[in-house]
Amino acid sequence: LQQMAKSSAPHKPKNSAINASRLMKYSRARIFQRKAAYKVKKVKTPAKKSAEKAAAAAAFVVKKIGGDKNGGERKVYKKTPKSLPTQVASRKVQLRPKKTFKKHVRRIRSNLAPGAVLILLAGRHKGKRVVLLKQLESGLLLVTGPRKLNGCPLRRVSQRYVIGTKTRIDISKVALPERLNDAYFRRQRSAKKSAASAGGSADIFAKSDAAYAVSAERREDQAAVDKALMGAIKASGDGPMLRSYLRSLFSIKSGQRPHAMVF
Amino acid sequence: MSNPAAESGSQQKLQLRSPGRMYVKAVFTGYKRGLRNQHENTALLRIEGVEKRQEVDFYLGKRCAYVYKGKRLTSVPGKGKEKSRVRVIWGRVTRPHGNSGAVRAKFSTNLPPAAMGKRVRVMLYPSRI
Repeated sequence: LQQMAKSSAPHKPKNSAINASRLMKYSRARIFQRKAAYKVKKVKTPAKKSAEKAAAAAAFVVKKIGGDKNGGERKVYKKTPKSLPTQVASRKVQLRPKKTFKKHVRRIRSNLAPGAVLILLAGRHKGKRVVLLKQLESGLLLVTGPRKLNGCPLRRVSQRYVIGTKTRIDISKVALPERLNDAYFRRQRSAKKSAASAGGSADIFAKSDAAYAVSAERREDQAAVDKALMGAIKASGDGPMLRSYLRSLFSIKSGQRPHAMVF
Repeated sequence: MSNPAAESGSQQKLQLRSPGRMYVKAVFTGYKRGLRNQHENTALLRIEGVEKRQEVDFYLGKRCAYVYKGKRLTSVPGKGKEKSRVRVIWGRVTRPHGNSGAVRAKFSTNLPPAAMGKRVRVMLYPSRI
């Protein structure tokens, strides 16, 4: 009896799934033995629902109908379904389920660390040397010129379109605003177009491409980050050289061979 | 540091700057071939400055472009109104070819034979460094 009282306290589950699948380590019979369920007395459930069960099992349903002289009721007989499945539909066990984009593993090249100077290889800022701030949750890199030096704003950039140089700036003292994340940099779809796709009544041909205007919070964040970054550049050993380095543009000159270059 | 007036002036100057060449020069030497048969789906490129098979590793996977001009104006991708005579066939460097630094590339459509001996641009992306 004491043992029974002890077992009522929560303990480790006796059974476990194999490799995050639907299969369990122990079969039902084995668990029966392991739990010593044969010792547990079966409690008889009272027959409360027998009436409802009987109604469900009956071949017909009694329905009320209108009109006098109609008898008031009809027995509606249940029809057999037109087709019955020949096999029990078995659920496919996903031994390795599909990973959604959110769950993808984000990797970063070992030479790309916050504070590294990168060379942008494509896009409107190609050739510019920019400072890597951090890797965002989507895996994209957050960089900034700083804008004062080379006109590159706070921007997301893909690792694949970037050469990581050995040059490093110590940005441990640079505090990045909390709100700089993927949602902040996400491209804004015009409101009218989204309304049209949702409601369907808005005029889809209405031209709603207003020129892109830099938002106040962008200016604010840019100024804050750049100020801190310029401070870090100044504080580092070779401030003036770093400044002119970040202002300069990269290109392949005659006789240069990228495969032999040390970046 | 610098006064605001000079800064705005320099900003304008910065915007007009463009970098120089951001690609490596290569030449389309011919299609992959045996002596008497050629397979046009694979192009052979000779990249400038690459003389050995060991040096080719950097360029594997890099995107390459054959840029040429047509007679008709065609629309520029990304800019609806603009039209240009410049056209591109994009491809990628796939593997080395031989021991002397030549390289095989596959393009979205086979390179036209008129491109033989002409410039192909090997970009620096997708970057692995």
